[in-house]
Amino acid sequence: MSWREAVRISNVAFTELSLQAVFAFRQGNVLPADRAKDLVARSRRRVVQSKVVISAVLALVTLGAAAFIRQKSLNPEILSAVPSGLFQSAILTGLLSLDIALLWWTGVQMVPTLISSGVLPTLEPLPLDARTVRRVATLLYLRLFDLPALTVLILTPAAVGLALGPLAGAAVVPGAVVAVVFALALSLLTGRFFLHRVQGSRGGGGRSFVRWAYLVLWLVPAFGMFAFITAAPAFLRALAAMAVQGPSPASTLLAAAFPFSFAVLPAIVAGGVGSTSIFSSTTVLALVGALAVYGALASWAVVWLTSSVRSLLFLSDRGRVDALPASASVRPSGVAWAVLVKDMRIASRTPGYAFLVLLPILDAAALGLLTYATPTSNPVAASLALGAVTTAALLATFFGPAFFAIEVVAYSYGRSLPLSNRSILFGKVALISFMYLLGASLILGLALLRFFEPLTFAGFILAELPAVIGAAFLELGLLFRWAERRGLAITNLYTGAWFALAVSIPGLAMVGLPPLLFEVTQSVGVAVGLAVMAVVAALELGVGSVVAFGRGAS
Amino acid sequence: MLYEALTPREFLEFVASVRRMDAATATRRLESYSEAFRLGPELEEPIATLSNGTRQKVLIIAALLHAPPLLVLDEPLNSLDPRSVRIMKDVLQRYVASGGRGVLFSTHTMEVAEQLCHRVGILDRGALRGEGTLAALRARVEAGDASLEEIFLRLTEQDVGVRAAVDSLDDASV
Repeated sequence: MSWREAVRISNVAFTELSLQAVFAFRQGNVLPADRAKDLVARSRRRVVQSKVVISAVLALVTLGAAAFIRQKSLNPEILSAVPSGLFQSAILTGLLSLDIALLWWTGVQMVPTLISSGVLPTLEPLPLDARTVRRVATLLYLRLFDLPALTVLILTPAAVGLALGPLAGAAVVPGAVVAVVFALALSLLTGRFFLHRVQGSRGGGGRSFVRWAYLVLWLVPAFGMFAFITAAPAFLRALAAMAVQGPSPASTLLAAAFPFSFAVLPAIVAGGVGSTSIFSSTTVLALVGALAVYGALASWAVVWLTSSVRSLLFLSDRGRVDALPASASVRPSGVAWAVLVKDMRIASRTPGYAFLVLLPILDAAALGLLTYATPTSNPVAASLALGAVTTAALLATFFGPAFFAIEVVAYSYGRSLPLSNRSILFGKVALISFMYLLGASLILGLALLRFFEPLTFAGFILAELPAVIGAAFLELGLLFRWAERRGLAITNLYTGAWFALAVSIPGLAMVGLPPLLFEVTQSVGVAVGLAVMAVVAALELGVGSVVAFGRGAS
Repeated sequence: MLYEALTPREFLEFVASVRRMDAATATRRLESYSEAFRLGPELEEPIATLSNGTRQKVLIIAALLHAPPLLVLDEPLNSLDPRSVRIMKDVLQRYVASGGRGVLFSTHTMEVAEQLCHRVGILDRGALRGEGTLAALRARVEAGDASLEEIFLRLTEQDVGVRAAVDSLDDASV
């Protein structure tokens, strides 16, 4: 059969994939009661919207990099010491790294959905030859990345061409192509790892650690921009020092490092080898050698991708069972704790839920690192602690209601268990409180390295804690009441997702009030402000408890 | 639909917690049932990766684990291998025979109901068409040696329809 036939089949398969990705009905979610035609149109629209958003971010980054190259307005003090060619290479190195990070991030999220959707195995019984199926698999995989990848491949040369001239624009093409190929190959590799070691991971032992480590890795590309901005000044300073020193073993290593080897090409085309001040004959040799190796690696990756995509997509999520001994020992616990442990175990094998747990914590860690790395001339521990607990509390409270999505997973079975709403509520509140405590402790733990005020920091964390618990009670209590009034099962929130978002507004106000009152009263003294904060937080806990457990509560 | 991201051991630990069981009893029963149903390494594999038959075994163990006075099961023998079907049948019979406990289960396989049940209720499109012992149901359709399948078809007035459907298939295949 022809490519045209493969394209036609992949269109149908991609529609099915979009439907599954958007509505997640294979995971137990209930489909909205709309016409199938409307659901299909909606899922197609949302997938296109997602691609447009990622492409827009990539375009913004690319145009921003081009603007930096032209204006050199990042930090004049640093830039005066960095030769223009080296500066351009540095910016393009950052750009290519971000391109890979964002494309990889897209792939890491979509590949597991593609595999578990089972769209290709359904083609198996049809009278299609192996070549057509392989083509369909390849097309399906490429369609996950089409618009973002095209943005990189077209916009990068265009933007660099505008900044440094058309020849330099052409010189960045190999870098853009290799970045896309590597991102696609990394997505497939990590997708395979995800299937075997995360989603399909056995229970117990150090495997939980591996799962959470992967899930942190899964989120890290999302912080690519943040890391780029944070690391850029240090990178430029190192380049300035390297330029002063001239050609050296370090500059040879830099020339051979990916993606610098590709990023330096447009600068050489635009300004010659001398514009970088780091090139000697040895460095040029290292650069040529590195380009040849990366080029060969990319070619091999293309071959590997086309041969592996098919086998990966036919990997059923019902794989083989390793004949390793398993214990039948169980340790039942209190019901609320069991809900919490269950949620954490599900999250450790499900990136979507892990995202809810990890994002606030990683955000907090990033904020802590920024606090540690940013010099402040007049440090005030109380202000720092207030900012830390407010950030951690707001993040944990905002994501809180979304944890109900986990209950949807096995709703039909879960409702057959004597699992009270109160137990579910306590389990979710424990998870939200844990996220707050971990997030605030991460920020302030890192801040301790600069300002050693453990008692002040602990005081703020504990003073805000009742407000976080109260806000969680309030949000979840409102959610329960709303579900009951509508006659909905509490776990079937898919049809009312807006309410799960709406309840976070009073929750956020609740966690924001004690820090606000501290700001107002701290002029009297930090201790007084902290006491006011603690008292208000305790009162809020009371209000939240009434909403969760008072008259009319389910 | 189970919690597919959990392993059977993790899932059953959750169920035992919700049922407020103590660790010793839960472990002892899980060991017995997993041995009987030959659930070995599968106990530590995510449920999403297991076959339908193994999932069914997990569900059955979850139902039996806390030894309820009334066991309610929906198509308990679906997807099970012949050995497990035999074990399950014996488990259900002994469950009732041990006294003070009952089993209520649904099935589309009339032979299973005929073999296991003291009383049978015949449901058709949400309505109870007949209920009682096999002898009482036979008396109701006035057929002393009728199988439960024949009783079902007569009580739901589908016996003639079945014959007509088969005849039409014969015509279609000519």
